[in-house]
Amino acid sequence: MSLRVDVVEGFSIALKSLRAHRLRTVLTTVGVGIGVATLLAILGITQGLDTSFEKQLASLGSSSVYVSRMPWVQLGNWWEFRNRKLITLEQLEAVRAQCTLCATVVPLLDDDVDVSFMGRELVGIDLTATSAEWPAVSTFEIDRGRFLGQADDDNRRLVVVLGADVAQTLFPDSDPVGQSVLVGKRPYTVIGTLAPKGKILDSSQDLRVVVPFSTFRAYAPGRRSIGIGILVSDAGALDAAEDQLVGILRRARQTPPDKPDDFAINRPDQVASTYQQLTGALYAVALGIGFITLLVGGIGIMNIMLVSVRERTREIGIRRALGARKRTIVVQFMLEATVVSALGGAFGTAFGLFGAKLVSWVSPLAATVKPGTIVFGVGFAALVGLLFGIWPAARAANLDPVEALRNE
Amino acid sequence: MLISLQGIRREYHVGGEIVAALAGVDLAIDRGEFVAIVGQSGSGKSTLMNVLGCLDTPTAGSYVLNGKDVARMSDDELADVRNREIGFIFQAFQLLPRETALANVELPLVYRGLPAKERRARALEALEKVHLTQRLHHKPTELSGGQRQRVAIARALAAKPSLLLADEPTGNLDSATGAEIIRLFEALHAEGNTIILVTHEPKLAARCPRAVRITDGKIVDDGPGAEVAFRDQATGQLRDEAHS
Repeated sequence: MSLRVDVVEGFSIALKSLRAHRLRTVLTTVGVGIGVATLLAILGITQGLDTSFEKQLASLGSSSVYVSRMPWVQLGNWWEFRNRKLITLEQLEAVRAQCTLCATVVPLLDDDVDVSFMGRELVGIDLTATSAEWPAVSTFEIDRGRFLGQADDDNRRLVVVLGADVAQTLFPDSDPVGQSVLVGKRPYTVIGTLAPKGKILDSSQDLRVVVPFSTFRAYAPGRRSIGIGILVSDAGALDAAEDQLVGILRRARQTPPDKPDDFAINRPDQVASTYQQLTGALYAVALGIGFITLLVGGIGIMNIMLVSVRERTREIGIRRALGARKRTIVVQFMLEATVVSALGGAFGTAFGLFGAKLVSWVSPLAATVKPGTIVFGVGFAALVGLLFGIWPAARAANLDPVEALRNE
Repeated sequence: MLISLQGIRREYHVGGEIVAALAGVDLAIDRGEFVAIVGQSGSGKSTLMNVLGCLDTPTAGSYVLNGKDVARMSDDELADVRNREIGFIFQAFQLLPRETALANVELPLVYRGLPAKERRARALEALEKVHLTQRLHHKPTELSGGQRQRVAIARALAAKPSLLLADEPTGNLDSATGAEIIRLFEALHAEGNTIILVTHEPKLAARCPRAVRITDGKIVDDGPGAEVAFRDQATGQLRDEAHS
């Protein structure tokens, strides 16, 4: 008998047997279903986290590079970072003069400030002190009024541009442009507001104020390391620009040739990969749990198939006496196991997708499901059935026909 | 010659000892014969029937069935021989409980790989021979014992085997139904089928043209059924039952 006939016949026998034992089929299906659902929900949530984080990082500007003393993601000796030389305006000028791949170069200083207007107060807002070209580097857009100009910087004017959340909170129903707000202890005149941009990992980018770089230096003195924001002339030239920057900065900072870089070149795209390294282990553990759940479902299938083989020993004897080969019996039982678990896989996929959606509704965690995941869910479940069906099927096929016929 | 057994031994290991269920059986059966195999329980007649039916392989000896040496065949080849050459009829009927009479009769033809249409036609033909065309779509539990055994006989006939092998076919039936089944066998024999009937009932064996008696794994008597069934092994005389 051909394998095709084995499969066709085995399939119809499998369906009949599953229909004859409905409760058993449902319970076994649920076992596999839970495993697949867990696996898919975990996959969906982790994929969702990655995707949303990538989107958030893209909002930092896909062709921007930020030079700072410390890397954004610090791995290693904090003291080593702490003792690095400051980054100075001279180094920024060197970059501006020598970096041919840099389209725009702006200075950056960060601080936390309290901002208030007419009794309304926001505490611990991000303050960015920078120059007129900053929107091009950070990809912020102006909503109302205007951004900082060269003259504001040159004259150390007390002017401020409000982030969208700050403007919304302090001026819920009026135009802030032209109004005077307290930034720290000094009154600043609002000259414009920024268009909203959203969050990176739950921290709003719109809860910020932007002031002229020289104004901040004048009123908040002290030796601070500045940051350098750079818009690279072409997104494809990011690596080349980074190489160029490393050379310029090492020369400007007189870093000895035998020492590693004592500054950090931060790229949003690389932060994503660092983030994935950090979260990878966590995902692996979560996936491991999913696989174990599926394994338990598989063992359930194996158990029920062994029961099925025992119950149908006589049937196997009859089939063997009438000319069924061992392979025919193997195919019959493996198909039965595969059909049960594929069924469980289908249900599990539906529940897993639903679970992932549920998580994204009730929590800040995002969840996305790629179409391939569904194929993976059902296919993987079927594979589990196939694997865990092998042993019971082999036992069935290797029964001695004479003994099997004698079975009550 | 349809069947030729020479020096067939079947040995089992039981608790470190070797027990011979068949201790050198020589037997030849021609096409068209109707032969009873008789013996006490434990005599080896079941083992002989399993070997004849290719369900079991002998430890030693040669078995040629329909020109093929089956003693040295692989498991797959034996399955094919069972499918094509042998029609089994068991004491316990051995029907699939969840399948209809028709589906049960079709089963060996499924394993032969015949197309559905041909399977159906041959199964119907076989069921007609056992007068069961009114019960095609009944499951075994909806049939009487005699009807079940007739389904089993139809299943054996459908494969058009060279040998019908019946193991105590009337053992689970009342005497009237048993007699009916035996008449069916006699009719099938008259049509030219080769039949081997394994039984412990002398009366049944007596109705067969030929019978062989097996004791302790060896054939000890071979002759017309009426004589072998009632011959006293110790004296060689026919017992009184023969005349009653």
